[in-house]
Amino acid sequence: MTEPLLSVRNLKVSYAVGGGSVDAVDGASFDVPRGSILGLVGESGCGKTTVARAITRVIADNARITGGEMIFEGTDIAAIPERQMNALRWRDIAFIPQSAMNSLDPVYTVESQLHEVLRRRGGMDRRAAQARAEELFEMVGIEKSRLRDYPHQFSGGMRQRVAIALALALNPKLVIADEPVTALDVIVQRQILDQLRELQAMLGISVILVTHDISVVAYVCDRTVVMYAGRIAEEGPMEAVLTRPMHPYTMGLRNAFPDLKGAASGTLTPIEGAPPNLASPPPGCRFAPRCPFALEVCTRAQPPLRELASGHRVACHRADEAPVLRELAVRTETWLVPA
Amino acid sequence: MPELAIARSGLPTRLFRSLRLPLNDRFAVFGLLIYLVFVVTALFADQIAPYDPTEILYTEDYDLAADMRPGQEGFILGTTSLGRDVFSQLVYGTRSALLIGVTAAFMVALIGSLVGLVSGYFGGWTDAVLMRLADIAFGIPFLPFVIVLAAFLEPSIWNVVLAMALVLWRDTARVIRSQVLTLRSRGYVDAARVAGSSDAKIILRHIAPNILPLSFLYGSIAIGWAILTEASISFLGFGDPESISWGYMLQDAFASQALAKQAYYWFVPPGLCIILVVSAGFFITRGYENILFPKLGR
Amino acid sequence: MAHLKAALSRTLQLALVLWAVVTILFLMFRLMPGNPMAAYIDPTFTAEQQEALMAQFGLDKPLWEQYVIYLGNLLQGELGQSFRYREPVAERILALLPNTLILTFTSLIIAYAFGILAGAYLAWRRGSAVEKVAIPIVLTTRAMPEFWLGMVLLAIFSFWLGWFPAGGTRSAGSDYGGFWGLYTSPDFLAYLALPALTLAIYSQGLPLLLMRSNMLDVMKEDFVTMARIKGLSTWTVVVRHAARNALLPVMTSFAIAVGYQLQGNVVVETVFSWPGLGRELVRAVSASDYPLAQGAFLLIAVVVILMNLIADLLYSLLDPRVSHA
Repeated sequence: MTEPLLSVRNLKVSYAVGGGSVDAVDGASFDVPRGSILGLVGESGCGKTTVARAITRVIADNARITGGEMIFEGTDIAAIPERQMNALRWRDIAFIPQSAMNSLDPVYTVESQLHEVLRRRGGMDRRAAQARAEELFEMVGIEKSRLRDYPHQFSGGMRQRVAIALALALNPKLVIADEPVTALDVIVQRQILDQLRELQAMLGISVILVTHDISVVAYVCDRTVVMYAGRIAEEGPMEAVLTRPMHPYTMGLRNAFPDLKGAASGTLTPIEGAPPNLASPPPGCRFAPRCPFALEVCTRAQPPLRELASGHRVACHRADEAPVLRELAVRTETWLVPA
Repeated sequence: MPELAIARSGLPTRLFRSLRLPLNDRFAVFGLLIYLVFVVTALFADQIAPYDPTEILYTEDYDLAADMRPGQEGFILGTTSLGRDVFSQLVYGTRSALLIGVTAAFMVALIGSLVGLVSGYFGGWTDAVLMRLADIAFGIPFLPFVIVLAAFLEPSIWNVVLAMALVLWRDTARVIRSQVLTLRSRGYVDAARVAGSSDAKIILRHIAPNILPLSFLYGSIAIGWAILTEASISFLGFGDPESISWGYMLQDAFASQALAKQAYYWFVPPGLCIILVVSAGFFITRGYENILFPKLGR
Repeated sequence: MAHLKAALSRTLQLALVLWAVVTILFLMFRLMPGNPMAAYIDPTFTAEQQEALMAQFGLDKPLWEQYVIYLGNLLQGELGQSFRYREPVAERILALLPNTLILTFTSLIIAYAFGILAGAYLAWRRGSAVEKVAIPIVLTTRAMPEFWLGMVLLAIFSFWLGWFPAGGTRSAGSDYGGFWGLYTSPDFLAYLALPALTLAIYSQGLPLLLMRSNMLDVMKEDFVTMARIKGLSTWTVVVRHAARNALLPVMTSFAIAVGYQLQGNVVVETVFSWPGLGRELVRAVSASDYPLAQGAFLLIAVVVILMNLIADLLYSLLDPRVSHA
């Protein structure tokens, strides 16, 4: 097996809140293999966006990376000086934001924003940048005549394509897409995801796709990392994680979303309760207060991430009983009465 | 903006509380303290000032006590070219400054709030007419307007108040109006109307308490404006020659060659007093804004 | 063209405002205490002059007829005869306008250049010690009476240090040969320096505070974060994206500030004996030269209203969200 493009090891990110600090990401470890799409999934506030932003090292003013490593092509980018990190940004690691409306500068044409990265970060001259901008628009399926338009003149889906074009401008090795289709309707979501998949395969790049929507993961991802309350709950090949989940949280998550392909997958069952307050997380497994299968041990000890099948790891004390729990988890009544 | 608790305490207490004085903001407290000092000075001017501000003074040798330096012959801030005591003038100047400031601010806040309230609450053609009037008020150059007005009327400190009442309600009215519009769109006004409350009752009970702090905010800005305007008018010679104000002192100093005489003790203190009172208004305003618009991020 | 329509309706609206101001001015000067004819006729004018003015302004006719004549005269730029100068008011005030505009624009350009840079800097350094000291100082400059600041600067730089002349626009007997010769001569600039500095110090607070609060808002926008993720230089992030977006409302405030400044000029021009519109207004009112006072007031009002219109149009021109709708 080849070395992964990016290995995140024991990453910790804390936010200064009030007088104290909150660990939004508390020891996340996962690999991003080359040439594949990794889905990073979880509820809002689980730390997935913080992980995504931590990889670019552009995080909120009150946030700090307090521990861990991020080995990107053999270099720990958590430890290199800011100057060196800045050289990597966009040339190697690009970003597709959730809302392209707010993330494109309203006072410049999209052409000018493409030129900005191509020339200032890619070192191209005007002519080369223009050719590349046209090529990028062709790649994402927008007429090049629209290069001169301002962001507000595009529809939501088109703006997201512009954001993809921008991300691919300098041929990055890794593209981080933070909820890239959340703001769009389902039909446009599929078009954008199809395009992302196609471009990823064509260019052989790696993508981290951050989403709260497990059906998006099912639609395009090769591997999946499921996060809960700042920690990794389960990680593995997408097929394995979604068809044979071993963590009760993944099982619950699967019940809570419709299929992106439109096929009804029975009734939708939400997981009762809310994620814990990270300022004072529960001592044991963080999912225990909402878990229908929680035992006494779960409220005491933090479960380690164990590899139970090839490349499939899970952090649950009852992972060995997973086949039985899966049977129970598909029933709605299991989730109605939390243990 | 959090809704006001309808506490069943006495009306004065409720009124005071509904002003929501920004007592937890250091700048605002500083501003309120400055106001307090000036109010006390104005009230006890007779006791504080050593001389009548218009009295022409003489030295012990029966010479005119003109252009005395500070400390000379016991004059704290020296004397003017006519032999009047600068410090006493300064002390009495607080009276006209506060009188004009407070009345003008009250008029501006009152008219502006009423116009904004009526305009925003009733809408329709009432709103259209009032807002066009505001547009016209915005088209009138304020200081020239005061000068022309002052020239036609008898010289009086009230000219400034009148001119401000006629023109400067415009800013307050626009802000209050938009605030009333958002308040009116909230559910409880409709609920009150369905429940059979009259317009007057809805305005008094639900809308007025919520715009009072905004009125007060614009009032505290207007105090500064009024004092600055009075100073300018007096400086230009259109003020009331009978009353001693800081603007009058500056005009007197300027006309008496105080600049060439390097008599800083004469023209610097009135300016500093104006700055203090006006910036006190700004500081209070800032404190208010932090309460009223916490999202401004300050 | 939706924005063209909006611009037209705004122009029309401000034309109505101008008409209202003109009417108010008419009523003020006709209904003032004393002889209503005093608005145009000085007792020392010759009998023929008096009669000519009576006829020209219809002063023996009823008020409404006078009003119609007044409007008609205004449209032709006819503002009457100045009592003091014995020359047409229109000529007099148009001759003074350049002095006022030069003072206004010089000071505002300095104020805006400084205010925009300092405001952007303070926003970028928010929470720092510099900011904690600077903001109260800026608020204090806003609280100063402009003419007092002028007096202090005059006392220090002119009377004490002797660096600058104390008032006027030119040294006695100097001749510059033409418009540009005058306004670029070192002599003129020495006269301009103190009044312009006074107004600039007073005016910089508005653009500074506006720029700063806009910057603080814009810095929270996603596109600024994205610019950082793109690895762009701090300069590019702060200036090309944050400042450029924050600048928009500040630029439109420039036109409005010109209007405000013209009003403030009244006192500063007096302090520095600067022969401009504001000082002329004060002198005309003091000397009961009503036609001149009326004309000066009107011209100031026209510029104020015109600047409000320019501010609106400028905004729709500078913001692509409006101009490319």
